[in-house]
Amino acid sequence: MRITGSIARPAAARIPWLTIGVWGALAILVLIAYMRAPQATTAVLTSTIRQSTPIILGALAGIMCERSGVINIGIEGMMLISAFLGFLFNVWTGDLFLATLGALLVGAAVGAFHALMSITLKVDQIIAGTVINILAIGTTGYFYQQGLTTRGKLTPVSIPFLADIPIIGPVFFSNPPITYASLILIVVVHVLLFRTAWGLRTRAVGEHPAAADTVGIAVNRVRYINVIIGGMLAGLAGAFLTLESVGSFERNMTNGRGFVSLAVMIFGKWTPFGAWGGSLLFGFANALQSQIQFLKNQLPSWLAWIGDLPPQFIGMLPYVLTIAVLAGFVGRARPPAAIGKVYEKE
Amino acid sequence: MERAGSQFSPRMDSRIQIWGMVHAAIVPIASVVVALVVGAAIIALSGANPLVAYSALFEGGLGSGRAFSRTLEKATPLIFGGLAVSLAFKCGLFNIGAQGQLLMGAVSAAFIGFSLQGLPSALHIPLALLVGALLGAVWAAIAGTLKAFTGAHEVITTIMLNFVAFNLTDWLADGPWKDRTPGNIVARTPAVAPEARLPDIVGVPLGIILAVLAAIAVWWLIWRTTIGFELRTVGQNASAAKYAGISVRRMTVLAMVASGFLAGLGGAVETLGVVGRFQPGFNVGLGFNAITIALLARTNPIAVIPASLLIGVMQAGASRMQFNSGVASEIIDVILALILFFVAADGIIRRVLRLRAEEGERVTLSSGRGS
Amino acid sequence: MQKSLLFITLLLVVALIAACGGQQASTQPTTAPAATTVPSQPAEADCPKPEVLCVGLVTDVGEVDDKSFNQSAWEGVKRAERELGAIVNYVETKDAKDYAANIGLFIEKGYDVIVTVGFALGEATIEAAKAHPEVKFIGVDQFQAEVVPNVAGLIFAEDKAGFLAGVLAAEMSKSNKIAAVLGTNLVPPVVAFKEGFENGAKYVKPDIQVISTYHPGGLDTAFTDPKWGADQAKLAIDQGADVIFGAGGKTGNGALIETAANKGVYCIGVDTDQWETLPEARPCLISSAMKLITPGVFDLITKAKEGNFPAGNYVGEVGLAPFHDFDAQIPAEVKAKIAEIDKGLRDGSISTGYKP
Repeated sequence: MRITGSIARPAAARIPWLTIGVWGALAILVLIAYMRAPQATTAVLTSTIRQSTPIILGALAGIMCERSGVINIGIEGMMLISAFLGFLFNVWTGDLFLATLGALLVGAAVGAFHALMSITLKVDQIIAGTVINILAIGTTGYFYQQGLTTRGKLTPVSIPFLADIPIIGPVFFSNPPITYASLILIVVVHVLLFRTAWGLRTRAVGEHPAAADTVGIAVNRVRYINVIIGGMLAGLAGAFLTLESVGSFERNMTNGRGFVSLAVMIFGKWTPFGAWGGSLLFGFANALQSQIQFLKNQLPSWLAWIGDLPPQFIGMLPYVLTIAVLAGFVGRARPPAAIGKVYEKE
Repeated sequence: MERAGSQFSPRMDSRIQIWGMVHAAIVPIASVVVALVVGAAIIALSGANPLVAYSALFEGGLGSGRAFSRTLEKATPLIFGGLAVSLAFKCGLFNIGAQGQLLMGAVSAAFIGFSLQGLPSALHIPLALLVGALLGAVWAAIAGTLKAFTGAHEVITTIMLNFVAFNLTDWLADGPWKDRTPGNIVARTPAVAPEARLPDIVGVPLGIILAVLAAIAVWWLIWRTTIGFELRTVGQNASAAKYAGISVRRMTVLAMVASGFLAGLGGAVETLGVVGRFQPGFNVGLGFNAITIALLARTNPIAVIPASLLIGVMQAGASRMQFNSGVASEIIDVILALILFFVAADGIIRRVLRLRAEEGERVTLSSGRGS
Repeated sequence: MQKSLLFITLLLVVALIAACGGQQASTQPTTAPAATTVPSQPAEADCPKPEVLCVGLVTDVGEVDDKSFNQSAWEGVKRAERELGAIVNYVETKDAKDYAANIGLFIEKGYDVIVTVGFALGEATIEAAKAHPEVKFIGVDQFQAEVVPNVAGLIFAEDKAGFLAGVLAAEMSKSNKIAAVLGTNLVPPVVAFKEGFENGAKYVKPDIQVISTYHPGGLDTAFTDPKWGADQAKLAIDQGADVIFGAGGKTGNGALIETAANKGVYCIGVDTDQWETLPEARPCLISSAMKLITPGVFDLITKAKEGNFPAGNYVGEVGLAPFHDFDAQIPAEVKAKIAEIDKGLRDGSISTGYKP
């Protein structure tokens, strides 16, 4: 397996001093804030996790697809369709577990559709994603009707003892099920990609399909399965929206979160933990944005200008950051080499 | 082998042109028909009569002089958007950011339109159009430059720039450039000066004339100039282009700039010709429709015109369809997505019609990523 | 062979999606748009006749069933269908540049009264009204700077409704911290609700802490982001807020539903009596800051029918919705105080402090 050396490239090999510095500084700031206002600080951190959950799930979906060489810009649409049908399953069955399962299956089906288009039908992968996005907006908008109500949504489950630890307890150990699942899935996807034979095959297919083929890996089969798994992750993100976070469906309720997931995936250089860092930053920026508005009247005068910033500017932040990352200001992002290319045996 | 290298096909050049054009139109037309049929099935399944819905749709888009002029109005920005996407396609670039470039063009044309008063039309209109187009070009140039010099994929950067443009223009329309006339409460710019409004030339709106001229200009640029040849070469095989001494970076930036110029011009035409000011909420979803149009037209600039008219008819007729038949106008999005699907997955249509696949006809773009 | 198989698979996928929707449409036929509008079709041809009252509604960008102002206005039109025997129909606007064309659909068919919803339609409404003096126009949320004889602008003092909601919230708060989760600051009624809410709370409890937040996105997302609303409501609850005011279409609804999942926290809705429109929020919904669009639209349609159509601005009713199941939990002195302040707001002795 000579290719091992080259396919390991995207994983960070050097010590990321900048990342450590940024997170260290943030941690210190959080501790200072906690000493001054423990309740509000915990609330902001809890909100950070909550707002990052659909983003990291979407990003994991993107990582699964793109690591195997299939671009997926249809995450937004996959989330929307799964959110919609997950909501309908909940209306019909009244069972949140079944509805979540249903959303996962829908995600898998849409993932299979994406794989069908991009692998078998050889549709340009970006166009395939665009088809999914437009189709999702159109079908959910057409078939959605008001007046459907459900009985509740997934509620937080506190883990005994762990939930009582200050800061960490309420933030990590007092969450609803899909949030726990997302935290576990970050580790699962990481292990899957970097510690298992399947992950090795996936990355081989994403970096050098021809070489992978010569050592006997069924390139397109690996891609199919990864894209379907990606679809399920996006489906879980959709389920999170309607079954855990909101409890109801609205037209176009993803509101660009699938695209933020893409951004975060790149920000994290196609690694699960990197993407998690990106989505936490996104969640933190959003929570902080509201917190600043909440405290508008209590800010010291030299900080008052932050409270006066138009909300639109803070709304821009994740997108500008992504462009900056892509531009190489925050380290170079290199996608898997074979991404976007249809693999055809000679 | 991977597809990227197998783009050159001697058959492409030797094919008789007329037959080629007819032949090239079969798949798009069949795609539209199949998409409409599937759309009809969905309408029928949801309990409405598809014939009633479709007849209202086409009545609303073509049924009267006024309906047709609304179709033209709808088609105008679509032509500009479709041209922008097609031109970028020719260079192997996927400009998904026509939406943002159009917004930037629209808001800046509005600024020139309302802030300058008393200029003669002959000066004011070209100035506002030019500024709008340039802002669109600048917006796209960000993505083009990043692609050329850092390899940042233009799909991601243009999507991100779309969101930035949405927020930026909303803020402009509600902040520094807000219409402060008494009685106004919403986010919008003041109306542009009457001299800056686009006139009708012998009954035809100047906007659609400009759109058609732009299509011809793009065709000329692509097929009759050295730059066009270099653009196409880069689009077909970047490494071969490099061997031939063409600067891939220069062409990448240039293609994005030209693409953004067109989209920005489209936005300026909307502001000066149709809306009369900038107001958030116009032309949402144009970026995606532009992609559908570019593919439907097989990135041929002239074919962009009929493709835009077709989608313009649907958009113009959607309200009447909902009014007459109660079928929600979201069905148009479904039909457009299906058209895009069948055009892109042309293997399905070819299979049904027993057409041979033409190597080199299909649009392949994403292979450029990461290189 | 393989490809035709794929084609069939694909059709099955499409059919599956369609079937899901079809099944859903059949379970609730009353709410499907097709079902409600088709029966009125045959009589629509009679609209030009003077004795037949036809009322059309053009929505702002959005749907007629948005649980918000479009829907409230449409309810008013439907009431005219029931009580005045009017023939009614609506057009949903998909693109802001279609306002004039959509109004034109009704004019062409000879409709007598056309309701246009939202300030953004103001200009198109005035233009259409000037060109068609025989048609009466009702502009919801459209302030009339000059009087056009056949246009009535139905406007509301949202700050007063917000003020009363603020009073109720402050009185019901035990933690002395209340919150507002709002749509965008780009739309003035939202700002009016917010300022009224804050000032109302401070009017009865000067030391109360009111925390509020606007959606950071543009107009395209600010009112359709329930996820954001839910997140911010939770953020406020986690730091001790115990009454949440959700004002901002579906974004606000998200905040209300989230609050319902938290014990011991109250919520206050907006625009309509959300007890009826948002049953999911009932566990926490003590009231709603209403602007009564439905009766306002209906009154104006009635006046148009009777021939005493009021041109210019027509100020609609605002106020608090009934307390429903929470009636017993709200102390009598709080109810008395709200009634007293309501009276003060009406006679002008109390100011909301909101300046547009």
